Amino acid sequence: MEVLKVSDLSKNFGGVSAVAGFTMEQREDEITGIIGPNGAGKTTLFNLITGVYPVDSGKISFYGTEITRLPSHKITALGITRTFQNIRLFRNLTVLDNVKTAYGVKIHYTVWEEMVRYPTVKKEEKKTEELARSYLSYFGLEKYSKSYPYNLSYGLQRRLELARALMANPRLLLLDEPAAGLNPKEVRQLIDTLLKIQEEKKLSIIIVEHHMELVMNICTTLHVLNFGRKIAEGEPEVIQKNEAVLQAYLGDEA
Amino acid sequence: MEFYLKVLEITSLYTILVLGAYLMTGLTGLFSLGQGGFVSIGAYTAAIAFLHFHLPFPVAILLAILMGSLVGFLIGIPTLRLHRDYFLLVTFGFGEMVRAALLHLAQLTGGALGIAGIPQLVGLPMILISILLITFLISSLKGTRFGRNCIAIRDDELAASLMGINVYSYKMKVFILSSAITAYGGALYAFVIMFIEPNLFNWLESAKLIVITFVGGVNSITGAIITSVVYYSFGEFFRFVDVWRDVLLAVAVLIVTIFRSGGIFGSWEFSLKKIFRWSGKGIS
Repeated sequence: MEVLKVSDLSKNFGGVSAVAGFTMEQREDEITGIIGPNGAGKTTLFNLITGVYPVDSGKISFYGTEITRLPSHKITALGITRTFQNIRLFRNLTVLDNVKTAYGVKIHYTVWEEMVRYPTVKKEEKKTEELARSYLSYFGLEKYSKSYPYNLSYGLQRRLELARALMANPRLLLLDEPAAGLNPKEVRQLIDTLLKIQEEKKLSIIIVEHHMELVMNICTTLHVLNFGRKIAEGEPEVIQKNEAVLQAYLGDEA
Repeated sequence: MEFYLKVLEITSLYTILVLGAYLMTGLTGLFSLGQGGFVSIGAYTAAIAFLHFHLPFPVAILLAILMGSLVGFLIGIPTLRLHRDYFLLVTFGFGEMVRAALLHLAQLTGGALGIAGIPQLVGLPMILISILLITFLISSLKGTRFGRNCIAIRDDELAASLMGINVYSYKMKVFILSSAITAYGGALYAFVIMFIEPNLFNWLESAKLIVITFVGGVNSITGAIITSVVYYSFGEFFRFVDVWRDVLLAVAVLIVTIFRSGGIFGSWEFSLKKIFRWSGKGIS
């Protein structure tokens, strides 16, 4: 079954076409990569899927439910979570609380119960805390649980973002340049982690990335974007030899 | 003695208003210059209900809270979709609008003459109990999902909505709750000071609430309360330096924003539990 189906998606910013007629299908338990030169519209595509920007035309559906016009928080609640190219953690929340925020939709108590410290609140909070701690230790972050995100190194912040995205227990995970700013060792760690998560959680993942080692190693399908248009689609080995792709990346010979 | 009691009463009244502002500005990062409007709405609703409609005192107070929440809801519908500076301007306009309306609805509000002859039904115990209760409510909210979500919204609205937080609905809840607390403070004010007029709380006073929240520390309810008590009682005790009070506040704001951008108290919170644990360790 298709996890995500994007058909003929377009978006213009003041006459500049950021995404034009993009179509893709994401199958269950697969890792898909979206690559392309800077400014090709990759991040815009994520922003369209997650409802950050309104779609100009086209359709997006998630497990058969249309999500094209839904607000971001509803799309997240349905089971799509994401990370950001420029890390967006909550500065004034501890590492532990950052992870907890993603679980908010799954907590069952009302504002009234919170105000009077009703017993359910304590119970649910305990459950949330345990889960959040398990995700932190999964990513080797448990000893930082009480610190604030800006005290963490770049690599750790990336991991924290990933932990937070997984805390919501998504069915589809969108990763926006997860390897940006990581050193080679960290990139290999990331590859292992992603493959492990994908297998353990039976998760579908879409990755926007420049880092070819990462993309070629873990993606089953690649989509190549250039100037908002898809110029190629296929398995990594095929894409590597594709003329149009080479041109887009390296420029015309002659 | 009576003087000190009076000072404490007024200081405590203002502290209720600071708590209302804390919820909005401190926790959620909404800068409202319209808090004064809600103070007036609370004060006038309670006073008119009590004096003109002869409703019993508790009902008058309850009506003030309801009126505050209702107006908060109505004002919130269009304004909460606006971003920082626009929100600030619209709430500023709202506060001044309330002032103008109270001046011109003279038949009901007494116009510029205000409403006099309100009996003094509220004393220090009631105000202090109110502070305790409101502090309990806000700190309960701060420690659970509600607080986390509010801080997330303050830090990064976009990321918050992508964590599944309905930003608009959360802002609305905060706005209504803050308006209710502020209107309640206004209602108490009427029954403590015994006289209200349209200029009792202008936008400058609303701005002070925000400044106090920031100086105390946006992440600390304790900080907001202590700063509020120091600021408002300082002014009463040092009447002779009255003009300098604002200069001192300004200097404090400058020093805090330059050297301690998280506010004086940072994210420190007073907690009975911690004190018990600490004293227990000391004994054993």
